[in-house]
Amino acid sequence: MARKPNSSRQTRTVLAAFLDRSQTWRHGYDLAKETGLKSGTLYPVLMRLSEQDLLESRWQDPERPGLPPRHVYRLTSSGLTLAREQARSEAAEAVGDPSGAVA
Amino acid sequence: MNAMPGRWRRMALKIAQHASWALPGARSLWADAMRRELDYIEDDRAALRWAIGCVMASYTARLAALPRLRWRVLSSPVVTGSMLLLIVLALQGHASDQTGPSLPAFEETTCALPDMSPDIRPRLRCGTVRVPRDHARPDSGNFSLAVVVIKSELQPALPDPVVYISGGPGNPLTDYAAHQARIAYAPRRDLILVDQRGTGRSEPSLCPDLDRRLLEATLAVAADDSADAMAKRRAAYMTCRDEAIRRGVDLADFGTRVTVEDFEWVRRALGIERWNVYGESYGTAVAMTLLALHPGAVRSVVLDSIYPPDPVPLWSTVVSDARDAFFAHCARDAACSTSFPDLAGTYRETLNRLDQNPLVVGVPPQLQQPRDQVRITAPLFEALVSRLLYFPPAYPTLPRIIQSVHDGDARGLGTVVASELAAAMTQNRATHAAVECRDRPHFRNPLPAGASALDRVQLYGLCELWSDLGPAPLVPIGTSAPTLVLAGQFDPVARPSSSRHVAELIGSNARWVEFPLVGHNVRHFSPCGSRIAADFIDNPGQAPDTSCVDRNPPIRFVSRAQIP
Repeated sequence: MARKPNSSRQTRTVLAAFLDRSQTWRHGYDLAKETGLKSGTLYPVLMRLSEQDLLESRWQDPERPGLPPRHVYRLTSSGLTLAREQARSEAAEAVGDPSGAVA
Repeated sequence: MNAMPGRWRRMALKIAQHASWALPGARSLWADAMRRELDYIEDDRAALRWAIGCVMASYTARLAALPRLRWRVLSSPVVTGSMLLLIVLALQGHASDQTGPSLPAFEETTCALPDMSPDIRPRLRCGTVRVPRDHARPDSGNFSLAVVVIKSELQPALPDPVVYISGGPGNPLTDYAAHQARIAYAPRRDLILVDQRGTGRSEPSLCPDLDRRLLEATLAVAADDSADAMAKRRAAYMTCRDEAIRRGVDLADFGTRVTVEDFEWVRRALGIERWNVYGESYGTAVAMTLLALHPGAVRSVVLDSIYPPDPVPLWSTVVSDARDAFFAHCARDAACSTSFPDLAGTYRETLNRLDQNPLVVGVPPQLQQPRDQVRITAPLFEALVSRLLYFPPAYPTLPRIIQSVHDGDARGLGTVVASELAAAMTQNRATHAAVECRDRPHFRNPLPAGASALDRVQLYGLCELWSDLGPAPLVPIGTSAPTLVLAGQFDPVARPSSSRHVAELIGSNARWVEFPLVGHNVRHFSPCGSRIAADFIDNPGQAPDTSCVDRNPPIRFVSRAQIP
């Protein structure tokens, strides 16, 4: 049976981290610390989400002189929808409701 | 953080750099993003762990791009182990790049370029690529070339970036990276800029202290065709040549064929599979030769304002045709012909008057002219008018300038002279000679009969003394790559009929488009040309919509009554 896209544990962890602060632009290193994922795992997830238009990115000006600009990320509206669906589905699994309707 | 990075930090930086090497093309942005995070990680060992992860991520992404590989497969222990082995082997290979250019590699550096603004800076990757001095002999030493990658404003970028090959030869390009970043060649595509060898920030520097002398000697022969002026110019070039040779430069290491191999080396260093080549002016000679020699690496080609291949007509005759076309347009235009009923006649009379009585104009002190003045002689005026034909923004005032100078008032020429002198100073004339003398057999001949001042500033009679003739630039006859040729009606470098002839030689995959009321560098001065080029690069297999060509706005000539 084909695996559902974006359902790996790592991807769900990343989506959940973004959902926590959905309007905030996030740095790669901070995301890695928050999710416990190594850069070698985190960035392939970010790249894939970006290529699916689930994630938007931009360059942010340096935080202080002498440092380089940073690449920052946040979910697009479709990314947010997916993250919310994942969160609902996980919550539903947790309470044993197969419909996913927990509200 | 310490000023001098520790061992772990240095190792982290090196490994992260390898990540950039491993993740080329459109995805290089991600390697860049990962590497920049290093500067925000205080702990050196954590930085090292981060960098190793960057390489893993780069290889994972690279392998995932291969058909039939899926992300889940890549997480299996066997694949991870194999990947680590690959990385170790590749790191060893990459480390060996540091000692010589046996493999093409892009070394990223800080972007120290003029006119950078906060919105542009994050989009730039600056660096160098070391290329063999002699591509046929990889052990011949190397030159460092300055390379700038301008990331598309819209991300993610499409693969197949655009490489812009500028004119000259001898003009710097990366100095203008900020300007180039603001004018998208094709939406969603990165833009690659390279300072060709011997120009701008690229090695070698050919007699840098003598370039000003070469310019002055060249301007002197424009104004004075005496044997003495010609001999002085020859001596200035020979002094430069001798100095370059004394400093170990082999003048056979120049020419369009060499430049083409440099570009190919840069392409490989950046990990680009195929690129869209945009050649402008002399850059069209490089673009055509690149397509002829490395067709597999080229997705599409735009040839904007062709620098015609040999045999070329005498340059003054090409300028004369462009000038006549402009005068004829004035005669057909109601406003222009009312104010300037016989512009061609006025121009001829002006040259005669200047021959008898040159005019004097003031120029800014930074141009270091005697008494901050320039004498407008007939040859200099001819050269200035030919330069103004390059630029459509100058067209509305060109008839008025001719009339004013005819009437003995050269005040309006001060700014023109100043900007032309300033522009002439940016060109590396020694590199110009180094390339042209390898490429162009006619510059080995003495100045032809019937030559004018415009031809005297060319390299006739110098090249035989400068270097041996090299292999000729090529025309990609019968190419399968889609090619767009843009021609300006008043181009003083190539007659539209010349570029049409080149397009016919290239064959059925070349489309030729002429732009009325435009001179040299169509894309820069014609919004219609810019749009057609962008559409073409976006979809080279489809004939671009050229209907805007006929909707060109008219030239709004400044009337005689407006002469102050």
